[in-house]
Amino acid sequence: MALDFHAQQSSNQRKTYALLLGMGFVTVGLIYAVGLWFGKGSSLLFPIAVVIAVAMVWGSYYNSDKLVLSMTGARIIDHDSAPQLFNLVHEITIAAGLPMPKIAIVEDSAPNAFATGRDPEHAVIAFTSGILQIMDREELQGVTAHELAHVANRDTLVMAVAATTAGAIAIISDMAIRMSWFTGGNRRDNNDNGNPIGAIVAIVAIVLAPIAALLLRSAISRKRESLADATAVAFTRNPTGLRRALESLAADTTVVQQKSNAVAHIWIESPLDDSSTSKLFATHPPIAERIALLKQMEGSGPTA
Amino acid sequence: MKTLLILVALVVLVAAFLVSQLNKLNRLNVGVDEAFAQIEVQLQRRSDLIPNLVETVKGYATHESDVLQKVVEARAAATNAQGLTAVAAADGSMSSALRGLLAVTENYPDLKASANFIALQEELSATENKVGFARQYYNDRVRQLNQALVTIPTSLFAGMAKVTKRDFYEVDSPEKRDVPKVSF
Repeated sequence: MALDFHAQQSSNQRKTYALLLGMGFVTVGLIYAVGLWFGKGSSLLFPIAVVIAVAMVWGSYYNSDKLVLSMTGARIIDHDSAPQLFNLVHEITIAAGLPMPKIAIVEDSAPNAFATGRDPEHAVIAFTSGILQIMDREELQGVTAHELAHVANRDTLVMAVAATTAGAIAIISDMAIRMSWFTGGNRRDNNDNGNPIGAIVAIVAIVLAPIAALLLRSAISRKRESLADATAVAFTRNPTGLRRALESLAADTTVVQQKSNAVAHIWIESPLDDSSTSKLFATHPPIAERIALLKQMEGSGPTA
Repeated sequence: MKTLLILVALVVLVAAFLVSQLNKLNRLNVGVDEAFAQIEVQLQRRSDLIPNLVETVKGYATHESDVLQKVVEARAAATNAQGLTAVAAADGSMSSALRGLLAVTENYPDLKASANFIALQEELSATENKVGFARQYYNDRVRQLNQALVTIPTSLFAGMAKVTKRDFYEVDSPEKRDVPKVSF
């Protein structure tokens, strides 16, 4: 079956919006549940949680380029120290109409790559020394296009928004549960129409909201990965390069040493997702699925 | 008083819509110009690589003066090319001249092994890719503009913005035109 990357791009964009909207609904639902449970006294909870969540995420979003570089120990390269890699990246920036990002190499034998930075002007794209060893020019071009697609689609921002919302939800839920230990009796005094079913629904909502938020956040991450694959094809008009790259990543068994949760979502292939990670919490779509989609794109798509 | 306010609001809204449509068309139009400038930058880069390439190849491949001559001529033609069609035509002949030269170098193992040539070859193929992606980007921008010029609402303001359809960048490389003639 033929598959067109334009259709893939807009479908993934739509799904991201729907999921972000879903997160909004979870937040509103949670606030409503907390209000139901504790009465008016809890209305301050929401602004406090948002402020804490924004404070936690904003700094790492704004300084994402510097932070990730120091966390992964990546070293910035220029044209003279790695001409082919520099050229590869420059080629795709022309196809994408993006400014030239900083390019970095992470000393790690596992093949992988990532992109970060708050906007295209502050973008960093990094490759492990492993990926540069095992991949040929066409495969690396596919990987580069995927990473620059994240930059073009502003995925650092999208994921920061998702992380902030999920964080705020977690904080509200956590505080509500703690509050209920101390003020659990208040409800019956303040709330005249003490509805036991309503109370149970409220508790269940408060407990489940952070899990729902985490699921939605992972789903958004997976959609952004699919979107980056489609956008990469829009840049190179060559699904084969990225497909072959993903195949060699799938065949490779070395795992990135930096098994840090904090930066897991930014790699092209997740260092954490494996058979033990539930599909629902995975940050990346299954690699076999991505390869299958790219194979379908190889059969068609407008070319220019 | 109330009707006046509503009227003013209406006028402001219409004006804002008009401005946004005109701006959109102008932005798309400028985007095409910028994309064309990018093609020229990359073509210039390719031209700049030629003298070095010719010198390097000359050192090893002494009997290939006509292939080298073609590249030098294509470079001269490219330097003088002005405007979309001329630039595209010069681009095409340069691409085919370079392909001819690179094909010939296959016969000179010493040349192919020289560090200078290996570095040059990477630069050359990267520049060739960059030229290709710049063309693709340009044609995408042209497609976007031309689409906006025929779809509502932007199409309604095309005349006012004085923006017209643009031509695609089409490289007619001689090989592509020379379809093998089959005679029965």
